[in-house]
Amino acid sequence: MNSPANNRSEQMEIDASARWPVLVFFGSALLWLLLGGVMQLAAAMQLHQPGLLAADEWTTHGRLAPAAQNALVYGWGMNAAFAFGLWLMARLSATTLRHGGWLFVAAKFWNLGVTLGVLGILGGYSTSFELLEMPRFVSLILLAAYALIGVWAVTTFSIRNTENVYASQWYLFGAAFWFPWLYAIAQVMLFKAPVRGVLQPVVNAWYAHGLYNLWFVPVALTAAYYFLPKILGKPVANYYLAPLAFWWLAITSAFAGGSRLIGAPVPVWIPTLGIAANMLVVVAVVIIGLNLFGTLAGRQAEARNSLTLRFIIISLVSFVLAAVMNLALSMRGFAATVQFTVFDGLRDWLTFYACFSTAMFGAAYFMLPRLTGREWRSPALIKAHFGATALGVGLMIAGLTYAGWIQGKLLNDAAVPFAEITKAMAPWFAYRTVVLGLLLLGHVAFLINFLGMACPFNFAKVPDALFRAPPDLSPEAHAPVGHSLKGVGP
Amino acid sequence: MSANDSNFRVEQSGASDDSIQQVHARLLATKPEKADGYSKLPLVVLGLMCSAIFFGSIYLAHFSLRFDPLVYSERANREKPGAVKIVPLTRAQLGKKVFDTTCLACHQANGLGVPGQYPPLVATEWVTGNEERMIRIVLHGLNGPITVNGKEYNNVMAPLGAVLKDEQIANVLSYIRASWGNSAPEVLPETVAKVRAETSSRTTFWTAAELLKIGN
Repeated sequence: MNSPANNRSEQMEIDASARWPVLVFFGSALLWLLLGGVMQLAAAMQLHQPGLLAADEWTTHGRLAPAAQNALVYGWGMNAAFAFGLWLMARLSATTLRHGGWLFVAAKFWNLGVTLGVLGILGGYSTSFELLEMPRFVSLILLAAYALIGVWAVTTFSIRNTENVYASQWYLFGAAFWFPWLYAIAQVMLFKAPVRGVLQPVVNAWYAHGLYNLWFVPVALTAAYYFLPKILGKPVANYYLAPLAFWWLAITSAFAGGSRLIGAPVPVWIPTLGIAANMLVVVAVVIIGLNLFGTLAGRQAEARNSLTLRFIIISLVSFVLAAVMNLALSMRGFAATVQFTVFDGLRDWLTFYACFSTAMFGAAYFMLPRLTGREWRSPALIKAHFGATALGVGLMIAGLTYAGWIQGKLLNDAAVPFAEITKAMAPWFAYRTVVLGLLLLGHVAFLINFLGMACPFNFAKVPDALFRAPPDLSPEAHAPVGHSLKGVGP
Repeated sequence: MSANDSNFRVEQSGASDDSIQQVHARLLATKPEKADGYSKLPLVVLGLMCSAIFFGSIYLAHFSLRFDPLVYSERANREKPGAVKIVPLTRAQLGKKVFDTTCLACHQANGLGVPGQYPPLVATEWVTGNEERMIRIVLHGLNGPITVNGKEYNNVMAPLGAVLKDEQIANVLSYIRASWGNSAPEVLPETVAKVRAETSSRTTFWTAAELLKIGN
């Protein structure tokens, strides 16, 4: 094992090589987070203020809502995942991120694609498939840009200078292959050589479920598996079960998409297979819970003192809740009530925002000071961001679960006219707008803090001693008695 | 929030990346040992895996409906396609075939017969009344004048006792008694067998006058 000092200088070199690509990706991600958030807020408002922005066809709800979702998923989500994924891949591979200039090109093209896609949706050229609404030609730009990014991640992994591969790398490496697989197959089967009839929603459901659970969830787990031992200085509990969870999650999640089609006019074995897969996913979730909550156990005070871990904990709790919700929505009896209500939307929001996005916030608070060599400017803005996120996630889950149940009950009651249901739901739509607004405020605080730190004209450089040289991970918590791992290494 | 705001401005790490990888690689390579016997966790996880696979498979087998691409509802009939399902038919349903081949020529498909030639089978005491008379007519035939629903008919009905089995006679009579608005109880093969035995010595056709003496 290298001495901590060597380790540190090596790491600074890696961080320096990743600095500009990561900042460009993350900066674009934050701009999309804000832009998408504003569109999402407006679209949410239209549900209880139908007159809002209704005069212009570009901003009608049918265009604004998918544009907001695409801006958030492909703009914020993918960019943030690229930023975090490339940085961590370089770090865990103990090698610099080479030829970062190409990553600028990739970032430019990716964001050009997302911009054209969102404008295309607003301009009325959207396709009718969830999460694939962007006009067809955009997919080529996105795939080409992704090819560069994915190749960089995989190449960085393959030239690694380390003997061992850690759990975070499995998830990153897996996700790097799963996204292009999902996206390319969905594009071919829906647009290039479209399958017929009922197969189209099947492909769409498979893609939507896969994008959330085989791309965003693995990236969130990457962060959780990395930051818990990294900050607590404690190995992951029951780590020997982690490989099982990885394979189990990868295989079962790929089949679970059909559960979104309960009651749809598709061959009944497709939803049934999805439901059975969702039952199996539970095993992976339990193991991951044992791993990560087990690592936290007994160290809550330290975790509370770490901003990154606070976000990671929100992400982990949401990961478990999202799995529970997926399973609940897979139960045909329960789905009969809550399918097609706000509860259904909450499921994807929980995966994408409460699980994935919070993990990226946590990662950013750790990663960005190291990349820029500067401290966060304002603790108050940090508090505002964390407070808004924690409160917003809690309020959203509690409120929409209740509202979804009420809405489902009303929808299933033939005696209640539809207009009455709309009236009954209006306060809940307003509630959602308020929560989204709260989260958006947190994002604004985050963006201001980010700009204050990343602005090239910010010369308030702090000394490198800011970061203490990390000690070696002590394995004592899990190593067999009298079998020290200290001093073992290359 | 916390007592220590500086932690929020710069996050410190508690372990180097290199050591994280090495220690975890070690943890994967060495099995967890417990001083006191064995670890329960692997067993619990194995149990969880098995039960998840068990319930998943049962659910899949139950609701996938043979992965049939044409079945869209999980509540659809679970029988294999091509499997012949036994549908119990009533005596009246079975008797229709006998009626169509044997009786229909004279009494017609609507059971109204031919005015002045063949008497109707609809809404008449001869049909819905005592079943023994009908059985006798079918067994040995009928000759001479008969009044049905106030109209006189004078014709011959051939004996069918040698052609039809007891079961067939019971079925066709049940059909007649349950069709075209008739709703008399069905006739059992045992009753036909009994009447056949009672009248086994008879060789001639019945007449209306004889029949009216029976079963009053």
